[in-house]
Order: sequence, then structure tokens, then C-alpha cells
Amino acid sequence: MALAIVDPAGDPALRAIYTAMRERPLPPAYRTPHGGVPGIIAAHSLDPQLIPRVFGCSTTLNGAGPLSWPERELVNAITSRLNQCFY
Amino acid sequence: MIADPGAVETGDRRMQLLVELATTVARAPWTLGRVDRTRAHAAGLDDADLLHAIALAALFGHLNRIADAVGVPLDYAVALDVPQIDPAAPQLAPAPASLTGREAIDPGGRPATARALADWRGYMFQRDAPLTRRQRTLIARWVATWLGDGGISAPDDLTNNPHDDLLRALAEQITLAPWRLGEDSFAPLRAIGFDDVALFDVCATASSAGVFSRLNVALVALAR
Repeated sequence: MALAIVDPAGDPALRAIYTAMRERPLPPAYRTPHGGVPGIIAAHSLDPQLIPRVFGCSTTLNGAGPLSWPERELVNAITSRLNQCFY
Repeated sequence: MIADPGAVETGDRRMQLLVELATTVARAPWTLGRVDRTRAHAAGLDDADLLHAIALAALFGHLNRIADAVGVPLDYAVALDVPQIDPAAPQLAPAPASLTGREAIDPGGRPATARALADWRGYMFQRDAPLTRRQRTLIARWVATWLGDGGISAPDDLTNNPHDDLLRALAEQITLAPWRLGEDSFAPLRAIGFDDVALFDVCATASSAGVFSRLNVALVALAR
């Protein structure tokens, strides 16, 4: 059994962070088809205060150059594949 | 879908260098050297590009490890055959020695990223619950040793009780073989009272330390 994902319905602080994350400016390609926060954000739900730190850092790296969007996605995909992470 | 990351051919010299760089940062950042920086420059990647790529690879190392620890489901349907995790894949090799010295590229060259990383680091290491500050320091030092980060001293002087050994075992798996994470990884710490929040803190502390050490080691190694 992997670690739990917290249901935001019972956690107002987590719900507020999810709302803030959903309201970030994001390219359509990064919006989830289910309308909720991406699973990788929910994966941090056991430590809600970590979420803005990690994804604040991610925004600085995935939201601007100098590497182009395809180059950034290439680095991200190669790293994930090497770590055997298929999320 | 990348079936074999060792066989990726982009047909573009700059993209191919990015594949090589991401591979080395993920597997063995201490093996980078001045020659890699020179080759990257010749392929059209300047220092700002290199810093960007190294920081991205370091960040994704964290995201991958947290996804493995939590077992997060996909957000979307995938039409292609997804490669299967191979739990028997050998763990990553630890660094044979630690690097010290100045970075070849100033990480402050991306000010917003540097501020975000400093905020993240402060959050992970300047608090006392669920893990104690001592436990956080231990984990950071072990991770630094496995990744060859000589900027943090070795943990031997602080390793002195059985609970530390359990923490070390989980931190090692997170750092060197995150694809093997599962209940067997968490059971020993659960048995001494760690709940999911505390176990997540171990995972997040180790994987965050991995981001900071991997970035530092890669930037220092490029100067050699």
C-alpha cells in the first residue's frame, strides 16, 4: 500500500491550496481532463504547505526559458523514464 | 513514450546533448565535467541553458520519487502501451567520493528559481515536526553522500540509534531505487509508530535533499 492521498473535502487548508493551484495561469495542455488538481499535486497532500514551495519552483522552471517548451518536456520525460516513473 | 532512454535519437545535436545531460544528472551527476560543458556549448547550449536543464532534471527527480511513494494515478487516458516498472532494475550507484568547490555556473543566474529553492529548503529543514530537525539533517547528509555532494559533511557522527538505521534505509531507497517503493519500504517505520504523514515527511525530506544536492553536484562537477 502506498502512502495516502488526503481528501480535500475534509481539510479546508488543503482545499484552499488546491484552489490556489487551480487558479494559476497554466497552458491548456497542463489542465487535467478531470478538472481537479493534477495527481502530482495531490501526491503532496500529506504536507499541504510543501505544495506551494515545490510547484512555485516548478513554475519558475517550466513556465519560462531559455529552454523551449519541447526542450523542457524532453528533459522532464527523460528524467522520468530513467527513474522508472510513468506518471 | 520513451521505451528505452538509452536509445533516444532526436536527430538534433542540441536536443541530443539535453538527453545526455538529463541522463547524467538523473544517474550520476558527479561524473559531469568541464568537457561536457564544452561539448554543450559547441552544440548550441549556453550556460543558462545548462542551468535550466540541470535544475529541471533535479526537480523532476523529486516529482518522480513522490509519485512513486504515493502511487498517484494518471490524470488522463494513455492510448500507447505504457512501459512497466521493473522492480528488479539495479539501484542507482552511489557516488564514489564527494565533490567540493565552486559551481561552474552560478545558480543565482535564475533568480526566481534560486529564491524558490531557498524557500523550499528552508521549509524542509527548519522545522521540528513530524520529523525532528536532527532527523532532517541526518537524511540530508546521507543523501548528500550518495549523490557526491561534499558541501554537507558526512553523517557518521550522528548515526547512533536503531531508528536512524530505519530512516536511512528508506532514504536510501528513495534516493537510489525509488521504483521499488512499496509497503515493504514503509513497514519498518510504521512498526515504530510512523504514520503516513511522518512517512511522507521522510520521503519528501530525502527527495528534496536530492534536488538540492543533485543540482549542486552537477554544477560543481562541470567545473572540473
